[in-house]
Amino acid sequence: MTVVAAGKPPAGSARGGLRLLRLHLSSRRVPAALAAIAACAVVLRIALLWQWDAYGALQLPLILETGCAVAIAVTTASPFGEPERATGRWLPLLRLGTALTLTAAAVGALAVAGIGAHLAGGGLDVLRNLAGLTGIGLLCAAFLGGALAWAAPTAYLVIAIYALYTQWHGPALTTPWIWPARPPHDLGAAVCAGLVFITGLAAIALRGARDAANK
Amino acid sequence: MNVATTDLTRRFGRNVAVAGVTLDAGPGVFGLLGPNGAGKTSLLRMLATVIPPSSGRIRLLGRDPGVYGQRRQIRRRLGYVPQNLGFYPGFTVVEFVEYFALLKELPAAEVHRAVAVAVERVGLGDKATAKLRTLSGGMLRRVGIAQAIVNEPELLLLDEPTAGLDPAQRVAFRALLRDLGQQATVIVSTHLVEDVGAACTQVALMDQGKIVFHGTPDELVARGAGTTAAGDAPLERGYSAVLAEAGS
Repeated sequence: MTVVAAGKPPAGSARGGLRLLRLHLSSRRVPAALAAIAACAVVLRIALLWQWDAYGALQLPLILETGCAVAIAVTTASPFGEPERATGRWLPLLRLGTALTLTAAAVGALAVAGIGAHLAGGGLDVLRNLAGLTGIGLLCAAFLGGALAWAAPTAYLVIAIYALYTQWHGPALTTPWIWPARPPHDLGAAVCAGLVFITGLAAIALRGARDAANK
Repeated sequence: MNVATTDLTRRFGRNVAVAGVTLDAGPGVFGLLGPNGAGKTSLLRMLATVIPPSSGRIRLLGRDPGVYGQRRQIRRRLGYVPQNLGFYPGFTVVEFVEYFALLKELPAAEVHRAVAVAVERVGLGDKATAKLRTLSGGMLRRVGIAQAIVNEPELLLLDEPTAGLDPAQRVAFRALLRDLGQQATVIVSTHLVEDVGAACTQVALMDQGKIVFHGTPDELVARGAGTTAAGDAPLERGYSAVLAEAGS
C-alpha cells in the first residue's frame, strides 16, 4: 500500500485543527485518563452507599480527587520530546485545552457521583480540592517531568489527610494552603487552590512537562 | 546565510558545552564532526530553538530566534531530528508525520500530500499504515527523518541521523541528504566520517565546545596527508590530525 492510499486528505483548516486535536489527545493517552477519572467516580459512588464516620467521609473524596488529579497531570508527558517543542503556536493551546477539559470532566464526574448521596463538602469542595491538586500535579510535571507528576499530589494528599486528622486530634493545621482541611466556603482556601491551579496551567501551557531531552 | 552564529556560548551549570562558536552556513549539507562531549548536540539544540544560548548571537533564516514572533516563523521552516527521538507507539507512520505537519502549521489542504511525499522519500511508503510499535529501530529513525522533512524545511538539523541504519539505508539516506541540500541548509552531526565524505559540502570539527576546523571534506583530508595520524581512511586521518593539533 502506498501512502496516498493510506488516508483521505483533510477538507479544510477546521478539519485540520480537529485532526491535530485528536492526534494530540491520543499521544497524551487522554482516553486512558478519562477512563481513570470515570473509574474514580464509580468508586466514589459505590463508596457513598456505605455509612462513614466524619473523618472517613472527608478522606474518601479527597483520595479520589487526588486520583483524578494524578490522571490529569500524567497526560502532560510528551512522548516526542524536543522536536515537538520546536514547532508552531498550537502546542501551548493544546496543552492548556487538554488540562482544562480533563479538570472540568473530573469535577463533573465526581460531582455527578455525589448526587443523591451524602458527599462531604459537596460539589464546591470537589471543585476546590480537585483544582488545587491538579495545579500541584501540573507544576510537578513542569518541573520534574510527566512521569513523576503523581509525586507532588500524592505527597500533598498525605499532608491534607494529616491536617484533617488534626481537626479531631489538635493542634489543628488551619492554613488555607492546606485547603482540603478548610470548610467548602472558605474564601482563603479557595483563593490558594485557585492560584495553584492557574499557576500550574500557565506552567504546563507555556513550557510543557519537563522530559528527559530537556535536562 | 541561513545560519549565522557569533560567539555563541552555552553553559550547563559550570560546564561550558559550547564555547564561543562563530559559524556561517548557507544551502548545502554541512557536517558537524567531533568526539563525544564536543558540544555538537548542544549547538544543534540551540539552532533548533529548543534551548537558548547563554551568550552570543544567532540568526536563523535571517531571523532572531530570541524574539517570539520570529522564532515562530523559523520553526515553521525548520526540521529537527534529535539523537533520541520519542515516539507514541500507538501512532501509525502517517499519523506521526501528519501530527508534526499540523503542528508546523502546514495548510490543511497540503498536509496529506506533504505527508505522503515525506514518507515515500524515506522509503516507508509500504509501511504507511503500520503502527510505530511494530517497526524496527532503523525504520523508526527514518520515520523521525520524515517528520523533519514534511514541511520541506529551509533549515534541517539532524543529530546522528544514520545511527541504527543498515549500510543500504545509509547509502539511500546520504542520497536524500544531497537532494535536500540542493535547496536547504542541512546540518548533520555525526561520528561517522564516511557520511561526511559522501554527503557534505562543508564540514566543521568541534572539540571541547569550539570549532577547531571549518572547510571542505577535501581540506580535512589534506590536513591528514603525510602525517602519522590514526585512521583507516583519509578523512579519518584528517579528523585525527586536527584533533591532535587542537589538543596540543
